[in-house]
Amino acid sequence: MNARLLTLLALLVGVSLSARADGDIEWRHRATQGAVTLSANPIGTAARRSFYTARGFAAETIRPYALACGFSLGMKNSGAATLSTRLADWRAVGADGRAVRLRLPAEWDQQWASTHVPEAARIAFRWAQFQAENIFDAGDWIMGMATLEAPLPGSFRLVALYHDEKGDHEIVLDKLACNHD
Amino acid sequence: MTELATARRGFLAAAAGFAALAAVPAVWAQGRGMSPVAGVPPAPTLVLPDMDDKTIDLARYRGKVVLVNFWATWCPPCRKEFPSLGRVRKLFKPTEFEVVAVNVGEDPETVFSFAGAPDFPVLFDRDSQAMARWPVKGLPTTLVVDRQGRLALRAVGGREFDDPAIVEQLRELLMPRST
Repeated sequence: MNARLLTLLALLVGVSLSARADGDIEWRHRATQGAVTLSANPIGTAARRSFYTARGFAAETIRPYALACGFSLGMKNSGAATLSTRLADWRAVGADGRAVRLRLPAEWDQQWASTHVPEAARIAFRWAQFQAENIFDAGDWIMGMATLEAPLPGSFRLVALYHDEKGDHEIVLDKLACNHD
Repeated sequence: MTELATARRGFLAAAAGFAALAAVPAVWAQGRGMSPVAGVPPAPTLVLPDMDDKTIDLARYRGKVVLVNFWATWCPPCRKEFPSLGRVRKLFKPTEFEVVAVNVGEDPETVFSFAGAPDFPVLFDRDSQAMARWPVKGLPTTLVVDRQGRLALRAVGGREFDDPAIVEQLRELLMPRST
């Protein structure tokens, strides 16, 4: 690619990003229970492949992750109480009642270790995921990517658990679907 | 590869990453305020290179209140809050307050293509080993170190650091009675 074309591409990308460059995140799916909000956006294969190859993954290496049913997840604590989450407790539940767990970031990381993914790429991957365990103080919010252990056909619910001083709570996102672009 | 080409590559990489995370439509505002850190423990060590590859030790700022922000260019809320780091720094005397941004896992070319040359130190934790010693579970995470070198405040997720609620919290840390 010559320099002029690269510059043009950079400008085009810059222009297309300008509306989003303030970092505000728009969510397609959202549920609120009390002071807690859970949000999600399905992310397609191409977007994930693009993101991670730009971070140093080989396209072939990131392929299984890019093909998995993936989301960008966000969770926000607008209340005063501290709450915690464990991704291992969350489930996606299909229309037929089949429940599928989320694949934990450490499980993906084991795969990257065995395939000798560069350390910088693994670091970016690790911190771009919705973390396996989170603590939210007042006003905290966290976002990150996540994948299902196995795909679910059609629409499904994401049942997320969180814990606060009053006990365990569920928050449910309805009508999610995998984005296989 | 020339420096320009490297910076351009960094810009494109960051842009691709940002598009992947943010290419989606309900908008969240940044959070407000920071939470007190239980027990006010001593801040872990932080010794890292800056954009000029000069080693900076956080201990050099002892006696000041220091806002330490862990971030990456591909992280949308990090990008959103980054300009406010410069703004809040200007609200206080440089002899009393400093901002230190710790980039995780990226290189100076990538950061330069996003941020230029900020007027506060940007340090590089290329292998994320320094961050592992800090109470950081996700990006962005921001901690405020008090004049005695203790962790006083923490915020997980994006903030506008010149928000009056945060500015007041910083002022309280700077007041003589809090020392």
